[in-house]
Amino acid sequence: MGVHEIERSAPDLQRGGIAVIDRHGNVTWTDEVWASGDGQAYLPRVPIGTNLLHAYRRLPDPRAQAIANALSAVLEGTATYFEIEHRADRESQDSFLTAVAALRGNGAGAVLIHRPVGVGGASYRDRQSDLRTLGGPPVGGGIDRLTPREREVLGLMSAGLDNRAIALKLRIEYTTVRGHVRSVIEKLGARSRLEAVARAYRNGWVANR
Amino acid sequence: MTPGTTAGAQTFPVPSHVALVHNGETERRAGVREFLIPAADDPNAAIYLCGPPGEARRLFASLEEDTGRDLHPDLKRGRILLGQGDRDVDQQLRNLLDAIRLLFDRGFARVRVAGPAAWDVPGYAAPEDFLWYESRILPALEGVDAVILCTYDAAQLPAVAIQYGAVETHSHILISGVLSENAAFLPAERYLRERLVNLSWLNLPGAEG
Repeated sequence: MGVHEIERSAPDLQRGGIAVIDRHGNVTWTDEVWASGDGQAYLPRVPIGTNLLHAYRRLPDPRAQAIANALSAVLEGTATYFEIEHRADRESQDSFLTAVAALRGNGAGAVLIHRPVGVGGASYRDRQSDLRTLGGPPVGGGIDRLTPREREVLGLMSAGLDNRAIALKLRIEYTTVRGHVRSVIEKLGARSRLEAVARAYRNGWVANR
Repeated sequence: MTPGTTAGAQTFPVPSHVALVHNGETERRAGVREFLIPAADDPNAAIYLCGPPGEARRLFASLEEDTGRDLHPDLKRGRILLGQGDRDVDQQLRNLLDAIRLLFDRGFARVRVAGPAAWDVPGYAAPEDFLWYESRILPALEGVDAVILCTYDAAQLPAVAIQYGAVETHSHILISGVLSENAAFLPAERYLRERLVNLSWLNLPGAEG
């Protein structure tokens, strides 16, 4: 399943959506209700797995139910879940790139949750970058070795933020951010913070706005 | 920016980030002297000296010589601080900003900072990270009466250090005793996007072009 096939099959990528991709590469967009919404509601941040599924099942919001359906597909082994957090940041579109994080499985299939943030959603290039990172051909450069949180940190590094600003934005400890930054640099095989950021731009992992 | 402290014939706007571009030690010493002596003579001003190991001590000794006074009592009561850079460029930025904050917390009305550009110093931040550090200083000074003077030795440093460091990351430039507003200064976000991520020496394997 390539990037373009996913894009072509998307009902409305600009507004976000959830695609369930089965082990044969067939794509089903499961969240037309969510896609028609504003994609801005705050959803719970809980550990991945059955707890997350139950958390969504308890929410009456049809968007949450759509996510729960997608999660069920993952837990049943027909898909691999792709998102850890559902952060919607009205102030910055940068977090969009990292809000959709990759947890790639053993080829059983994939659920791709695509959620633009900010006014007007993310640009076409942003979405293309996300899709390429998550479900498309290998992009090289080690991005696939980063955890979702590390990708989020890389996105904020690429926006020029220092570690304290990243800690404030993500509401995590400064020392934790330092660890993430070190890990990002190491995993990307970069020699410096800026080299890691430059790779992110060069490879389209972040938008060069 | 508002008019600030007069140093010799110069009035340094506050806040400002000034590059002293000099040719050799004699010029550096004269430029730093003109900048620091008014602060050393002002009981409401505090001084932070920094740089690679040993550099702050050297600046302090020069300042004592130039003022003709024993400044150790100022060191002891915390009106003058000696700092050191860090291998981790984010930590280096923190060291600088924390020192400035500490001095204001101690009740000083003005803070003046001086230190040499640590370009490609063994065991220190890579040049691109050093440039990032330089670019992040001015935005962090908003609203405070602080002036940072970075010395760039044109006789020692490569042209890229002068061009990308001194010229593009400083709001003002001091050359041969003349302080000028810097028309080539690039705001931090633009500098990151247009300069830093495109530095020719960065090693970017896996880039897709």
